[in-house]
Amino acid sequence: MTERSGSAGVKRRDFLKVLGAAGAVTTTVGCFQEDVEKLIPYLVSPDDTVPGVSTYFATTCRECAAGCGLIAETRDGRAIKLEGNPAHPVNHGALCARGQASLQGLYNPDRYRHPMARKNGKLERITWDEGIRTLRERIAGLGAGAANAVFVNQHETGSFAAFLDQWLAGYGMPAHVAYDGEAPHAVMQANRQSYGSAWPALDFSAAKLIVAIGADFIELWGASVTQQLSFADARAKLADAPRFVYIGPRRSLTGLNADEWIACKPGSELAIVNALAGKGDVAAAATAGGVDQAVLQRLAGEIAATKPSLVLSGVTTANALDVALAVNALNVAAGNVGVTIKPAEALTAFDRVGSPNDLRDAVQRMASGAVPIAMFRGVNPVYVLPKSLRVAEALAKVPFKVSFSPFPDETTELCDLVLPDDHFLESWGDAESVRGSVSLQQPAMDRVFDTRATADVLIGVTKGDPATANRIPAADYRSWLIGRFPGGAQAFGAALARGMAPGSAAQSTGTPRTVAAAQPPAPAPLEGQQGDFYFVVYPSPVLGDGRATNKPWLQELPDPVTKIAWQSWIEIHPTTAARLGIENGDHITVTTAAGTVTAPAYVYLGVRQDVVAMATGRGHTGYGRYAQNVGVNPLDALPVAHDASGGLALATVKARIAKTADHSPIVSTEGSARQHARGIGRAVTAAELNGPEEEEVEHFAGDNKHDFLPGLRSPVANDAQGVLGNPKSKDKGMYDPEHWSGMAKRRWAMAIDLARCTGCSACVTACYAENNIPTVGAPWQGRSLRPFHSGDGNGWDTRPGANILKGREMQWIRIERYYEGGEDGSSDFDTRFVPMMCQHCGNAPCEPVCPVYATYHSPDGLNVQVYNRCVGTRYCSNGCPYKVRYFNWHGYGEPARRQYAFPEPLNWQLNPDVTVRGKGVMEKCSFCVQRIREAEHRAKLEGRPLAADEFTTACAQACPSRAITFGDAADENWSVARLAEDRRAYHVFEELNTFTAVVYLKKVNHPAGGAR
Amino acid sequence: MATVARPRGATDLSPRPNVASANQQLPGVADYEQVDRDIGGSLTPTAGWFGALAVAVALFLWGAGTWTYQIYWGLGNAGYNPPVMWGVYIISFVFWVGIGHAGTLISAILYLFRAGFRTTIYRCAEAMTVFAVMTAGLFPIIHIGRPWKFFWLIPYPNWRLIWPNFKSPLVWDVFAISTYLTVSATFLYVGLVPDIAVLRDRATNPVRKRILAIMSLGWRNSEKEWRHFARMYLFLAAFSTPLVLSVHSVVSFDFAMAINPGWHTTIFPPYFVAGAIFSGIGMVFTIIIPIRKFFRLQHYVTINHLDAAAKLCLFTSMVVGCAYLVEFWVAWYSANQFEQKYFWNRVFGEWWWAAWIMLTCNMVFPLSLFSQRLRRNPAWLFILSIFINLGMWFERFVIIVPTLSHEFEPWQWAHYVPSWVDISILVGSFGWFFMWFLLFIKQLPVIAIAEVKEIVPPKLRSPHPHEDAIDVTGQHQAYEPDTPGEFA
Repeated sequence: MTERSGSAGVKRRDFLKVLGAAGAVTTTVGCFQEDVEKLIPYLVSPDDTVPGVSTYFATTCRECAAGCGLIAETRDGRAIKLEGNPAHPVNHGALCARGQASLQGLYNPDRYRHPMARKNGKLERITWDEGIRTLRERIAGLGAGAANAVFVNQHETGSFAAFLDQWLAGYGMPAHVAYDGEAPHAVMQANRQSYGSAWPALDFSAAKLIVAIGADFIELWGASVTQQLSFADARAKLADAPRFVYIGPRRSLTGLNADEWIACKPGSELAIVNALAGKGDVAAAATAGGVDQAVLQRLAGEIAATKPSLVLSGVTTANALDVALAVNALNVAAGNVGVTIKPAEALTAFDRVGSPNDLRDAVQRMASGAVPIAMFRGVNPVYVLPKSLRVAEALAKVPFKVSFSPFPDETTELCDLVLPDDHFLESWGDAESVRGSVSLQQPAMDRVFDTRATADVLIGVTKGDPATANRIPAADYRSWLIGRFPGGAQAFGAALARGMAPGSAAQSTGTPRTVAAAQPPAPAPLEGQQGDFYFVVYPSPVLGDGRATNKPWLQELPDPVTKIAWQSWIEIHPTTAARLGIENGDHITVTTAAGTVTAPAYVYLGVRQDVVAMATGRGHTGYGRYAQNVGVNPLDALPVAHDASGGLALATVKARIAKTADHSPIVSTEGSARQHARGIGRAVTAAELNGPEEEEVEHFAGDNKHDFLPGLRSPVANDAQGVLGNPKSKDKGMYDPEHWSGMAKRRWAMAIDLARCTGCSACVTACYAENNIPTVGAPWQGRSLRPFHSGDGNGWDTRPGANILKGREMQWIRIERYYEGGEDGSSDFDTRFVPMMCQHCGNAPCEPVCPVYATYHSPDGLNVQVYNRCVGTRYCSNGCPYKVRYFNWHGYGEPARRQYAFPEPLNWQLNPDVTVRGKGVMEKCSFCVQRIREAEHRAKLEGRPLAADEFTTACAQACPSRAITFGDAADENWSVARLAEDRRAYHVFEELNTFTAVVYLKKVNHPAGGAR
Repeated sequence: MATVARPRGATDLSPRPNVASANQQLPGVADYEQVDRDIGGSLTPTAGWFGALAVAVALFLWGAGTWTYQIYWGLGNAGYNPPVMWGVYIISFVFWVGIGHAGTLISAILYLFRAGFRTTIYRCAEAMTVFAVMTAGLFPIIHIGRPWKFFWLIPYPNWRLIWPNFKSPLVWDVFAISTYLTVSATFLYVGLVPDIAVLRDRATNPVRKRILAIMSLGWRNSEKEWRHFARMYLFLAAFSTPLVLSVHSVVSFDFAMAINPGWHTTIFPPYFVAGAIFSGIGMVFTIIIPIRKFFRLQHYVTINHLDAAAKLCLFTSMVVGCAYLVEFWVAWYSANQFEQKYFWNRVFGEWWWAAWIMLTCNMVFPLSLFSQRLRRNPAWLFILSIFINLGMWFERFVIIVPTLSHEFEPWQWAHYVPSWVDISILVGSFGWFFMWFLLFIKQLPVIAIAEVKEIVPPKLRSPHPHEDAIDVTGQHQAYEPDTPGEFA
C-alpha cells in the first residue's frame, strides 16, 4: 500500500482499491478453518425432535454384567440423563449409582479422542483406516501363532460374545476370555452345580428368614438392583418382613441392613454353615469362627424352624466354592429351592462369565513369551489383577498388543494399537439378562469423539481383505444384529421403542482355551499364616473393581458404609485401634507375604477385632485425571490365590500392621456417627408395630403433624391469623386457594420409608445428574493455602477431596448413616440410613432471614431458591436446622477457574432445565422443580389435570429400593398423601415447628426372638 | 505521671476523683494559648507518625489485595467449613461495630449526663466510632458471596419492583449501620467546627487555610454561633443516645432472630450493648494512652480521666460477665437438649480454649480495676485494653463458630480454622482503621480545643478602670465615676 501525504491525500479510487483488496483477503482467510466446531448438534433437526423437548431412547446399561434396561433422555442430540426402563425385568425402572454415572463415561474428558498407534515409543494419532489396516496385517501375519492369540473381553451378556468368537475362529484364534472381576465366581459355579443355572432368581419377599454369609446382595454380589428391589419389598412387609442375619468378618452395606451381625473369622464360614445345617459341631464352629456358641445354636434353630428361608453365600476365601455348595445344600434341604430360590426364572446375565483363572492363565502364557498378539476390550488386567502376578512385565513380552478401551487405563497405556470403542450409549448391541427376553442397546446420540464400535472395527478388518470379505455378511454390527433378529428390520425397529423383545441373544459356540494344567497353588491355610490380622479385601460398592473410578460422581459419592470419598482407607476395629494407639487418619501399613499397602486408618465398628479391611477401586496409576493417584490399591498386598472355581480369593491372607508417622485427615462427609438421641433416624421393632398404637401426644391446635396444608397455609401462619380451630380453612393464607393456577391447592411433599432404604446412595448420584451439581473433590479443586502460589498446583490444597475435608461437598441429598448401640465396640449395633435433603418446611427458618428474598415460599409449598437473586449472605444455611443448603465456594461453573467441575465435554451432560450455579450463591434441593413444572405444563398442554403419581423426582425415580415417594400431599389421590398418614410417620426436628414437607417412616427392626 | 498535673512538692489535698468529680480543672494547663499551642502542636507530622502510617497503609493494601483475590477465586479460600458459614468476617463485623459504641457513649450519653471526665477523651472516641463503623460496614460486603451485588440489600426503587426482605435482620443491619455512620459522622463534624476555626486562624498555608475555612463554615466565635452550636450539639447528642442502644441490639438480632442453639435468646440485645461499650472503652484506652504519651498530652488526658473511664470499663465488664453466666443458667433451665449440649460444648468441648480466652479477658482480668492503683496506672490500662480487645473478638468468635459447628444435626457437625485470607483481611481492617485514625490526628485536633478551653481559666484582661464590673455576688455593677471631673 502506498503512503500518500500532504494535501493530495488518498484518492477515492485508491481507497476503494485498497478496501476491496483488504476485504477480499480478510474474507478468504476467514473462510479457512482448521476444525469445524459443532456449536449445536443438529444443523437440520430430525423431524421428530423439538428443540428444548427431550427425546427418550430405550437401551441397555453396560456398566456391570447385569444389563439393566435404560431410558436415555436426550436433549437436542445429547444424552443428559439415564433412568431405569420400567419395562425391564431386571431393574424395573430403578438404576444404581454406577448406572447413573455411565454418562460421565460417555462424556469423560479423558476418553481417547481418536485411534492411536505406538510410534517411537509414543502413542500417536492415526486414522481409522490406518488402524484397521494395521490390525488386519498383524493378524494376517500371525500364521500358526494365531492359535496362541489372546482376546480379553469384559464379560457382558448378549450376542457380542458369540460374534467375537465367530470372528476369532475365522482367523484361527481361540475363543475370547470373558472376564468379570466383580462376579462371585464360586457362587455361580456352585449354582450351576446345584441348580443348573449360574444365577437363579432370588425372591427375598417370599422368605421369612434371610441369612447372608458374606453375600453382599445390595452391592456387587449378582444383580444388585433386582435383589435390592426384592429385598426392599420384603422389608416393606414391616412386622411380617423376614428377619435378616449377616455372617462375615466385615459388616458391609448389606450387613448394615441386617438385623443381626455374626462376626466370624474369615475361613470359618464352612464350619458355621455346616453347624447351621445341623451337619457339624456347633461348639467347634463357634470356636473356629470366634463367635458365641449360643448365637449359632439359636440361629441353627431358627433356620430349622423358619420356612421358607433364604441362605446366601458370598465368601471370598479360598474355600468359597465349598461354602457356596454347602449353602446350596442347606437351601435344598430347607426346601427353599423353587420358593425363595427360583432356578426356573434364572438371570442369564452371568451365564458365560469366564473364570478369572483363564485370565491368569493368559497372563502366564504372555509371560512365557508364547502369545504373539493380545487384545483387550473393557478389561484392565494391569490394574485388576494382584501386583504379585506381574501383569505389566508379562505384557512387555507380547510383541503386539491392541486395546479397544476408550479410556487411558493402565493396560491400554502399554498397548501398541489403540482402537477406542464407542460408549454403549453410542453403539448397537443386545443383552439377554433374563432368559427369553432380549434387551436392545441402541445409540442415544452421535459419537462424542472419533471412536468406533469394536464390532464394526472387527467387521472392517474382515472386509478389507478379499479373502475374508464375505466371512461376515453384514455391513456393520447393526445389520448383523438385525439379520439374526426374528422379524427382521421392521420388528427390530418396533422393539427399539420398548427396548425389549422376546427372543434370545446369540450363544457362543466357541470354547475358551482350556486352562493350562497349572492350577493355581492352593493358598496356605489362613490359620497357619504369619500375622495378627486377617486382611479382608472387598470390592467397593461404588467403584467396583476400579472400572468406575474415573467418573467424578462416583469418586465424590461417599462410600455407603464409611462415608469416605476420594480416598483409600483401612478399616480397623475401635478396640484394636485404641490398643495400638491408632486414630482415624493415622497411616498404617499392612504387610502380607505378597506385599505391603499403606493407607489412612478408619476406625469402624463393623469389622472384627482381628480384621483389617480395604476396598478395591482406587490407586490407579493411570485411567485419567479423576482416577490417577487417588488412593491406593489393596491388590498390591494380595497374593494370587484362587478358589476352586477360579475366582480371585480376596480374604485369604493374614497381615501384620504397623502405624507410621504419617497422618492424613479422613475425607468423610460424616460429622457425628451418633444421633445423640435427637430422633433423626427412628426405628420400631416388629413387636412394637404389632402392639397397640402409642398414645397420641397432645399438640396445640393446628399442630397436627400429619396435616400437609396446601401452599403457604402452614399451621403457624394460620395461628397468626386467628383460625386456630380450622387450619384447613380455605379463605386464609397469603395466596388465594382458588387462584386460577391451582398452585395454592398443592403441597409438594415426600415420604421416605426407612424400612425400605438400604443406604445404597443411588439417589445421590441421580441428583447430581439431574441437577447439575458440581463435584468438588478433584485434586485441583482445592483452595489456596498461602498467599504466593503458582498456577500449577503449588500452594493449593491438592489433596484429593480437599474441599470435602472442609465440608464443602454439594450433596443436595445425602445419606446420613447413624449407629445405634455398640458404643463399647463389642456388642452388635443397629444402623439407620437417613436420606436428608431440603425439607421444604412450611414454616422455614431459612426464608425470613434472607435479606433479598432469594429464598421464599412458593404457593405450592416449595421452598424456592432463586440463584440469580442470591447475594450469598449464607444466613439461610445458619437458620436451616437440617443443614441442607450448599454454597458455591469457588467458581465450579466457570471454565476459567481451576475449580471448574465440568471440563469439556462433561458439560454436555448438563441438564438444560437447571441453572449451573455461579460462584457465591447458595443452592439446595428443589424437589426437582423443573420436573414439577414440566409435568404441569405437559398436563396443561394436553388439557387435563395432573394425574396422581404422574411424575417423580430424580432421587425417587432412581431409588432401587423404592424408599422415596414424591407427590402432592394435599391431594389424597397421590401415594404420598397416604404414606404421610402411616403410623410410622414422623418429621425430623418436629419440635422446631418447621412443618416439613418430608415425612419419614420409621425403620422396622427384627431383633432375635422377636423382642427388643 | 500524676506529677505533671501537680506542682512539684505540693501536697495533693484534693479529694480522690470519681466519675462525678472527674470534672476537674486541668492544673497543668495554664491558659488558652497553651491549649492552642499544645493541641495545635500535636498536628505537626513526625517521623514516627509517618512510620506508623506507612505500616497502616501497607496492612490495608495487603488486606485490600487479599479481598480482590478472594472475589476472583471465591470465598472458598477463606476458612469456612460448612455448616460454619459465618466466620472471621462476621466476627470482625460485630467486633468493629462494638468498638464504635464507646465513642458515642462517651461523646453523647456522658455529655448529657454532664460527666466532666469525657471532655478530653471524647474527640478521640468519637473519631474512633466513625472509623470503626466504616471498618465494620466493609465486613458484610467482604463476607457475602457476590459482593458486587451488595446494593440489593438496600431498598432502592427499581424496575423489577423488588424490595429487600424487611423481615431479615440483615436488612435491619443495613439501616442500623448506615444510620449510625451518618449520625456519628455528623456529630463528630459538628463538634469539630469551632476547633477547625482555631486551626484556620493558625494556618499559614493558604490552601490549607482555604480548606479549613470552608470546613469551619465561616465560624466567627460569635455568641449567636455559640448558642446555635450548643443547641445543635445537644440535639445531636440526644439523637445519638438511642443509637448506642439500638444499633448493637439490631446487630444482636442477627443472631437472636435465628433459631440456632446459643443464638436464639432474648438476653442478646442488652448483652451485646454492654459488650459493645465494654470493648469500645477498651479500644479507647488502646488509642488514647499512646496518644497522650507520644503527643505529650498527659496534662490534658489526666490520670483522673483515665481512672473515671476505667470505672466505666469495670462496670460494663461486670454487666457482660453477668450476661455470660446468665446464658449458662438459661441453657440449664431451658431443659432444651440442643442448648445444653451447645453450652457444654462451648466451655468444655472442642472450643474450650476460645471460651476461656473470652471469660478470662472479659470477666476476670478487668476485675483488677477494683484496685485504684491499677486504675491510675496507664501502662496496666493499656495492657488490659489489649486483653479486652482480644477477649471481645473471641466473644464474637465463641458466639458464632461453636454454635454453627455444633447445631441440631449431628451428621453436619464440623470444625473451623480461619485461612490466610481471613487473617489477611482482618489484619487489613486494622490497617484501614488506623490509617484513617492516623490521618485524622494529624489533620484535626484529637482533643477538643473548644471544650478544653471551657474548663481552663480564661485569661482575663486587666479591667479598664472605667468599665462595668461584676461584683462578688454576681451582680452587674455599672461604672460610676466617683472622681468628679474625671471626664472633664
